[in-house]
Amino acid sequence: MIDLVAAEWLKLQTTRLLVGLIPAAVALSCAAVAGIVLSADGVGDLESAEGVRRVLAATGTGALMVLVLGVIISAGEHRFGTAADTFLTTPRRHRVVAAKLALGAAVGLAAGVVIVAACGGIASLLYGIEGATFPFADVDVWLTVTGALTYTTLFAVLGVGLGSLVRNQTLAVAVALAWFAVVEHTLVNLAPGIGRWLPAAAGQAIVRTPLDGLLSPLAGVALLAAYGVAIAVAGIRVAATRDA
Amino acid sequence: MIEVHSLTKTYGAQRAVSDLSFTAPSGKVTGFLGPNGAGKTTTFRCLLGLAEPTGGAALIDGRAYRELDSPRRRLGAVLESTGFHPGRTGRNHLRVISRAAGLDASRIDGLLELVGLRAAADRRVGGYSLGMRQRLGLAAAMLGNPAVLVLDEPANGLDPEGVRWVRRLLRIWADEGRTVVVSSHQLAEVAQVVDRVVIIRDGTLVNESDVADLTASRVTVRVDRTDLMVSALCSASVEHEVRPDGAIRIAGRDTAEIGGIAAQAGVTVTELSRRSAGETLEAMFLAATRGSER
Repeated sequence: MIDLVAAEWLKLQTTRLLVGLIPAAVALSCAAVAGIVLSADGVGDLESAEGVRRVLAATGTGALMVLVLGVIISAGEHRFGTAADTFLTTPRRHRVVAAKLALGAAVGLAAGVVIVAACGGIASLLYGIEGATFPFADVDVWLTVTGALTYTTLFAVLGVGLGSLVRNQTLAVAVALAWFAVVEHTLVNLAPGIGRWLPAAAGQAIVRTPLDGLLSPLAGVALLAAYGVAIAVAGIRVAATRDA
Repeated sequence: MIEVHSLTKTYGAQRAVSDLSFTAPSGKVTGFLGPNGAGKTTTFRCLLGLAEPTGGAALIDGRAYRELDSPRRRLGAVLESTGFHPGRTGRNHLRVISRAAGLDASRIDGLLELVGLRAAADRRVGGYSLGMRQRLGLAAAMLGNPAVLVLDEPANGLDPEGVRWVRRLLRIWADEGRTVVVSSHQLAEVAQVVDRVVIIRDGTLVNESDVADLTASRVTVRVDRTDLMVSALCSASVEHEVRPDGAIRIAGRDTAEIGGIAAQAGVTVTELSRRSAGETLEAMFLAATRGSER
């Protein structure tokens, strides 16, 4: 199994995927953080507990890119026809998906670290320009940071699962983007009662976004993890049974 | 050794392979021949565990591919559908497979050399020609030094020199005792190298034979007095077959001997010809594929 995860890591390293998507995720998160800092109502708002939470929650914006990365880790094999070769090497295909899920989690976590570090830097820089101080010593900040890392990790896993389930890469990416950009918002507006149980809302709960009606951060983690497991199991089933 | 037993694979209402059985022994190059769409690739996909057979089985040394431990060490395959990530270099493609299969990466350089890709090894596969991809696929198949090789149309995209090079490789591998199965829709590409042929059409077996059995050259003779010739052949104890059109076919003798018998019998020879094994094979292949080229 270690060989398989190492091989998946080698696959990722030997293409330009990371070089393309991680900076995009960082840039997206940093832009969201900067936007929130710059639109704040003065120093008081910036330094308030809610203000800090709002800024930190924006670090989750890049998680969507991490999810796309996860999708490409699995569906990309079908796009370029490398799946056959992969399954020739490892005919017990559930092992391939398991290795990809493990790699996805590791890469998601690492991406989270990079994103959070960059966002922390930007936030502290802009706070300084605005004449405020970013409260790095605040325990709330570190709880949200932990949340952001969990968020990117789970989103990467979700992406790998989705990519195994919907093997057409373009379709899988489109499904993911459509869900988080349109479908979930629409569902929340139509039926606010179920909104908190949907994956993006679970993600918002994890990064402690100051919004009404969200689950607690831990419940958010459990819910998003449950979505991840469900999609991963379905993805494994598809990979193991369908003709490659 | 590869054994295919009553293999059937249907896609919806379409029967891609139907009750197909054949064997490919070790130490021989088995040509798996048939026109495009005959079911060759589907058979390979079932053999390699990429597609689930609807019925029957395809076994490698008695086991299904999915049950092999360390399959890359047992069998190497080049499939037409095998893809490469265009952004990955040739060397990295081999490193990935080697890593996933837990193989010795030190073979990579030697294999790149063998397939003539050493200079291009660190270029992205996206810039490779079709022939270079075929060569990279062959190197990947050989990574685990397997005893069984399954190659789907390996000559596709290769120039004549490349085709000759592949034939030489196949010969070497078979002579080393490996089982080599090579599919082609063009007999000419493989005719010189195959020891055994399995010809299929519309997913069913048309012919399975060792080329050695075909090679016994066949002489055809026509004379003005067939009856005299037949009795002369009988008294010379030459086995023969009289065709409805009056031609007499004789296996395993040369034309000079048959001409001599005709002279002694005092008949006038109107035709005396010899067909080589290659021609016999070609006639068989043509009969199988006639009218089905798409």
